Amino acid sequence: MKTKMKKGKITMIITAGIACFVLVLVMTMQFKIVNEADITSIENMRKTELSTELANWKTRYDEVNKQYEETVSMIEEYKNNKESNEQTNSLMDEELKQINMTLGKVDVEGEGITILINETNNDEVEKITADDLLLIVNALKLAGAEAISINDQRIINMSDIVYIDAAGIIRVNGERILAPYTIKAIGDSNYLESSLIGNGGVVDDMKKKEQDVTIQKSNNIIIYKYNGEIDTKYME
Amino acid sequence: MQNKKVIAIVLGIMCFALTCGICIQMKTVRGTNSTVSNDYEENNLRAEVLRYKERYDNKVEDLEKAEAELEKERESATKNDTALKEKEQEITNGNKIIGLTEVTGPGVIVTLGDSKKDASTSLDPSMLLVHDTDVLSVINELKNAGAEAISINDQRLISTSGIICGGNIIEINGEKVGAPFEIKAIGLPEQLAALDRPNGYLDILRGWSIEVKFEKSNNITIPKYTGTYTYEYAKPVE
Repeated sequence: MKTKMKKGKITMIITAGIACFVLVLVMTMQFKIVNEADITSIENMRKTELSTELANWKTRYDEVNKQYEETVSMIEEYKNNKESNEQTNSLMDEELKQINMTLGKVDVEGEGITILINETNNDEVEKITADDLLLIVNALKLAGAEAISINDQRIINMSDIVYIDAAGIIRVNGERILAPYTIKAIGDSNYLESSLIGNGGVVDDMKKKEQDVTIQKSNNIIIYKYNGEIDTKYME
Repeated sequence: MQNKKVIAIVLGIMCFALTCGICIQMKTVRGTNSTVSNDYEENNLRAEVLRYKERYDNKVEDLEKAEAELEKERESATKNDTALKEKEQEITNGNKIIGLTEVTGPGVIVTLGDSKKDASTSLDPSMLLVHDTDVLSVINELKNAGAEAISINDQRLISTSGIICGGNIIEINGEKVGAPFEIKAIGLPEQLAALDRPNGYLDILRGWSIEVKFEKSNNITIPKYTGTYTYEYAKPVE
């Protein structure tokens, strides 16, 4: 009687043990899958995402291809004009023109928008901060702005927009700027505007706080060059 | 008999708990990983994207080779003339600043990771994540501290780089990157270190239990920008 009971118990324990083991095994496997699932990877995208991704890669390919062809023709020109210093000089001027445009060392003009921001007289309305300006500039960059300035301070590669708390001073490129703020951006004006005023857009949010912001589209915006020196000491 | 009942109940509870765990896991897996869907059209699209990505990668490689060759040609075309040589230096230097060449130098590395705190214990779980505005603020402070070149997860920041947050990932230069975010900056390390000050943005992030790592380094490499500069709207003023 006693041994029979023991046998039954042992079988039960073994079965339970096996069941537990299997369950734990499945769980660890699942954990691994969850950990490995990379949300940024292409395997996990859905149809609409994939379509935008495809369009994205197509434009990027076209851009790189164009750049490649330009570089190759540039190499040819250098080769062909090796003997003439004058020709080489003009070739380099051409290259420099492009570089200086990207550096922000050239005045540029084109289609775009102007954003006017003014402080209101109402004390209950929040004052404009450097963060507001930073968010607008970021949104404009995302919308494909090719050149941006705040109160004629050109935003270049390493431009900062900081707020110095105590005095309530906003500095761009180290220069103090004062209200009213005028942000200019060159690019597709419809696209630039819609990126700011859509629901949840930066300007939309500011208007909800009753801050004084207006946007004007224009076919001819002039953005002045960066006035400072762009020098590098540490990078090689 | 009593003993048996207890064992049975304990086992029952254990099995129930494990089954529950597995069910929850299954659901999460299905939520994040849609590889299970075998939609034909989706697979086609996926293959197409991969094909274009590969073509793009190959072209980038070609472009890199061509750029190296161009540099050589430029160098050999200018070697006999000091004025030209100067201009050549200006071009090389300009390309460095606008991000078209890889650069190295002293600087700092800031790593921002989502909080390790249990989200269910927090009033606002989104406070435990690193957001695009956090990265933007850190970048802005680095620029203020005199950074000469910056990259986020090896995406070089250029003058037109915007940062946007979409769910758990952040997009920079059109590329998606996920947390933890490794931000590298080249500049005077002592000056850049001002970023890690009491009440600075990094300090505030730590207060929200975001994982912040800050280290100085004498040898930081920041890759080149892999995209291109094209101007469709902006024209130089004559």
